[in-house]
Amino acid sequence: MTPNRDFYTGLIATAFFAFVLFVLIPIYVKVPSFIPGFAPPPDMWPRVITVVGLVMGILAILFAIPKMRAAANDGVMTIGATMHRNRKLIVRFAGVLIGFAAFAYAMPEIGFVPATILLLAYLFLMTGNYSRKIWMIGLTIVFPILLYLVFTEVTHTPFPEGHLFSALAADFVTLI
Amino acid sequence: MWNELLYAFEAVATLPNFIAMAAGIWGGVIIGAIPGMTGTMAVTLALPFTFYLPPVTSILLLVALYKGSTYGGSISAILIKTPGTASAACTVLDGYPLAQQGKGGKALNMALVSSCIGDFISNISLFFLAMPLAMFALRVGPPEYFMLMAFSLTIVASISGRSLVLGIISACIGLLLATVGEDIYGSFRFAVTEDMKSGLGVVPVLIGLFALPELIKMIVFRPEDNNAAMKLGDNRLTMAEFRGSVKSILRGSVIGVILGAIPGIGPSTAAFFSYSEARRTSKNGDKFGEGELEGVAASESANNGCCGATMIPLLALGVPGDVITGVMLGAFMIHGLTPGPLLFQNNIGEVYSLFIGILFSSVFLFVAGKLTAGAFAKISRIPQTLLLPCILVLCVFGIYSIGASPFDVSVLLVMGIVGFVMMILNIPAAPFLIAFILGPMFEDNMRRSLAISRGDLGVFFHSWISWAFFALTVLFIALTIRREWQKWREKSSNTAQSA
Repeated sequence: MTPNRDFYTGLIATAFFAFVLFVLIPIYVKVPSFIPGFAPPPDMWPRVITVVGLVMGILAILFAIPKMRAAANDGVMTIGATMHRNRKLIVRFAGVLIGFAAFAYAMPEIGFVPATILLLAYLFLMTGNYSRKIWMIGLTIVFPILLYLVFTEVTHTPFPEGHLFSALAADFVTLI
Repeated sequence: MWNELLYAFEAVATLPNFIAMAAGIWGGVIIGAIPGMTGTMAVTLALPFTFYLPPVTSILLLVALYKGSTYGGSISAILIKTPGTASAACTVLDGYPLAQQGKGGKALNMALVSSCIGDFISNISLFFLAMPLAMFALRVGPPEYFMLMAFSLTIVASISGRSLVLGIISACIGLLLATVGEDIYGSFRFAVTEDMKSGLGVVPVLIGLFALPELIKMIVFRPEDNNAAMKLGDNRLTMAEFRGSVKSILRGSVIGVILGAIPGIGPSTAAFFSYSEARRTSKNGDKFGEGELEGVAASESANNGCCGATMIPLLALGVPGDVITGVMLGAFMIHGLTPGPLLFQNNIGEVYSLFIGILFSSVFLFVAGKLTAGAFAKISRIPQTLLLPCILVLCVFGIYSIGASPFDVSVLLVMGIVGFVMMILNIPAAPFLIAFILGPMFEDNMRRSLAISRGDLGVFFHSWISWAFFALTVLFIALTIRREWQKWREKSSNTAQSA
């Protein structure tokens, strides 16, 4: 049999709900010693959901079996081979993950606006299409600053300045 | 009454009132169209300005902002697959596929027309049904809410696409994520970090799930046409298309009015409910989710149908139905008006002026919608490689501005990745969305009902309203099982024949 996408979806769903049911709920859903009146405890609803999810995950695996048999007869590629063939796509996806993680980390460190400028530049680079370089460079700088001005003036949102720049500014003031 | 109405008409028909309504609607449409900026934000921001305005003018401004933002959410939902507000999340399901087919203009026009009709019917209901509907709303307690939510959740079956099992898996993930944070008794669930104690915000989750996967898909797969702009195509909505959606618009408007009058339900639920009903009853039900104008009409008429109706419990009983009407209650108080039964005795002149003014706002909504949608439609001409990264940055700013919380931004990014993985695994995103919005109301009302009855399940069957929703739920579950069984039999007979 050749595992197909539905099989892997079922497998991932089953593993996810099992992990939530047997690991996360016992640790992260606290049941208080006293609940007013007769009330269902806080873990009742998450348990019901995860059990339903688990059953559906198993069903998805079972329903995928006939298709997998047919696929084996047709000589369809396995998902492993497909992944190997598409390693460029996987690298790009990893690139997106790294970009997002770096932005979330950099936001409080270097400040909201510089981090957004860097994120926008990175995303433009990742698109792989550089036919509108001038637009890309212009938007990378102007767009976040424009949004910053709009949001600070209209909604008075206090965007993080960043530890790095705050510290540098403080040193500069001390020097003066 | 008619004399008072005439006086009210004269009082409303002044330049300052018209300017306030026009500005409110326009501002609302623009704010609603920006991902992350909500109607609540618009109304709250405008509140300080109303201190200096006469009472009727200030309430009209706030109501106009509410209506405008509710419609505005549909513009970004249709054009860039990013619901501007949570109530427009349902519009994405058919609006964006229509835009991809080069029918973005039609979808925008249908959203505008159905929003205006829904809005107008809602305003009329405010005139004639304020008291009876408010009395009905008072009879809806936790058990009735629970049954209503159970019925609404059956929509998952109809929007699961090719596989009901994958649809239910998606709904379970949505329900599970909705449990993160503090529950009704103050205990914390899945609070892995300190930020998670307050739960996951609806707006970052929705925007992350719908808007970001498009960007990630473009970066990962780099399709050939990613430098091409979207074609808006023929903008005009034909009479035949409008006639085909009239039933859905009227039904959606009535659903919006009834659910809007019940405190705590809100336009998002009304939109899903209406969409589900339209899909169930329409001849083209199978095409919903692939770009059906009727789907856009159903959700948009219902969410705007809620706008006037949410004023019913506020004016008649003094009970705000949601955050926005809560802010409006504050505005009433500031101007020395106390909403509730006495308002109709002591300030009937102001009440009628408000009713007349709110009716006018539907006309302003149409004009502002036409002009603004035209301007926003130009967005679709920008190449995807430039547009999508900028949308992400816009979402990041919008989401951050809601609560000045970096955690919300992280939720947005993580949900984008989750949405992309779901896309790759063929898990439909729509059931997730519905479950995430309706799940907390479903659970809270179930637990409240059981706490009130000390565990007696009979509490769910004490009123005819509960029975009615229960019967509908059972009926639709039975119909779904029958449909799935027929599908399975057809498939197996086809396989046997081909073998």
